[in-house]
Amino acid sequence: MLSGILLKVSLVMALGLAGVSTAAQEAVALHGDVKVVRVAEQNGSQVETLEDPEKVVPGDRLVFTTSYHNGSTEVVENFVVTNPLPGAVALAQVGDFDVSVDDGTTFGELAALEVVSETGMRPAELSDVTHIRWVLQELEPQTSGILTYSAVVR
Amino acid sequence: MNNMPKQFVPLLLASSGFALASAPAMAAGVPAGTLIENTATASYDSGGGTQSIDSNTVSLRVDELLDVAVATRDGALVTIRDSAVLAFSVTNTGNGPESYVLTASNSVSGNDFDSEIDGLAIDTNGNRVYDEGVDTLLANGATSTSIAADGAITVFVLVSAPTGISDGDSSQVQLTAAASTGTGAPGRVFSGAGEGGGDAVVGASGADDDDRGRLAASFASLTLAKTGVVSDPFGGSEPVPGATITYTIRASASGSGDITGLVISDNYPTGTTYAPGTLRLGSANLTDGTDSDAGEAGATGIVVRAGTLAAGANQTVTFDVVID
Repeated sequence: MLSGILLKVSLVMALGLAGVSTAAQEAVALHGDVKVVRVAEQNGSQVETLEDPEKVVPGDRLVFTTSYHNGSTEVVENFVVTNPLPGAVALAQVGDFDVSVDDGTTFGELAALEVVSETGMRPAELSDVTHIRWVLQELEPQTSGILTYSAVVR
Repeated sequence: MNNMPKQFVPLLLASSGFALASAPAMAAGVPAGTLIENTATASYDSGGGTQSIDSNTVSLRVDELLDVAVATRDGALVTIRDSAVLAFSVTNTGNGPESYVLTASNSVSGNDFDSEIDGLAIDTNGNRVYDEGVDTLLANGATSTSIAADGAITVFVLVSAPTGISDGDSSQVQLTAAASTGTGAPGRVFSGAGEGGGDAVVGASGADDDDRGRLAASFASLTLAKTGVVSDPFGGSEPVPGATITYTIRASASGSGDITGLVISDNYPTGTTYAPGTLRLGSANLTDGTDSDAGEAGATGIVVRAGTLAAGANQTVTFDVVID
């Protein structure tokens, strides 16, 4: 009996995995990328460049991007992209997104959020951010865009 | 490589009811080898209802940052007469375990004297005091054992005073700790040399640091002054047979520190005989015999063991002889 149940479970898993290969049928595709910010001195001014993150140490600034593309022929509505921040980084600056400091339960502007501290509630800081979220009302067919946030390695 | 899923830390905190989401405070940053993985999820409404899709997961590994801080643990000047011990802290301010080449230098400009470096020792029992025979000795220029990220050790520098130095002379000794993986300008990369197979990158310290301990020579010097006062049997001061000479030997210590094991001895002048029972150390009478007190008067002279004399203090020995 037990082995029969296990067999069913593994069949379901196999079907689930097979589902991934049909992702091309999804209306929208997401693609993530990450770069590290390098600052170089050029003619006396500081120039920032984005490089592949081959060497990353605490204090480095990373730029995470998520590209989206509506490859369908239909308008997509209520397009919401949620990005949990990796624990090893802290958000570097606010941007065109809402943030959460309570693991994605509530979202808003950072300045409006508070967190529990040893002495009561205190205003939330960049390093408190756990999730960020972009909300786009609709995506026209065959449109693309890039969502970006930057974070510092703790 | 410790692939602790850092991104799950906030979730654990959330389950305890706190909104404190920041990772644990780590002065040196997240440990070398930590994976940073990022995945975005989208949900949207399209024809058939609400759908959800994940992005690919981008992943990168945190490399090892090589940094170190060295600081003297001696709050004040360390006095030296023959030898001394200087204490330093060596802190791994990088984010991975690292060992450091430890080098003490006696040659610092402005030194009145250059002390001799006898060796180094690691504070094995962690009491910040050098314990001979307990703390691990290390040759100057040797490499420490591995220090964990954010960890610190106490390093002792054992020094001796050279000959010919004077009270109050000062000297500095410099201890340098250099990451054994390598040093250089911040940003220099040692490929594949980092924790967990990643790269090691020189941090803001240049992966080496130094600090100085300060020594002050502390010597007490001794001056002896002997005076004699004659009292003749007729109430005068003529050195005639039968007259008594009271000798006073005054020992004075100057400089700084202590004089220890001070022994004052003096022979009776020819043509005189010791007056029994007249030997004194300060105001204390000493018996003539060899016994438990601090002095004795023998057949040819006196010996007084005055012990320790602090700088600025003095001690007086007196005894009488009679002119034959």
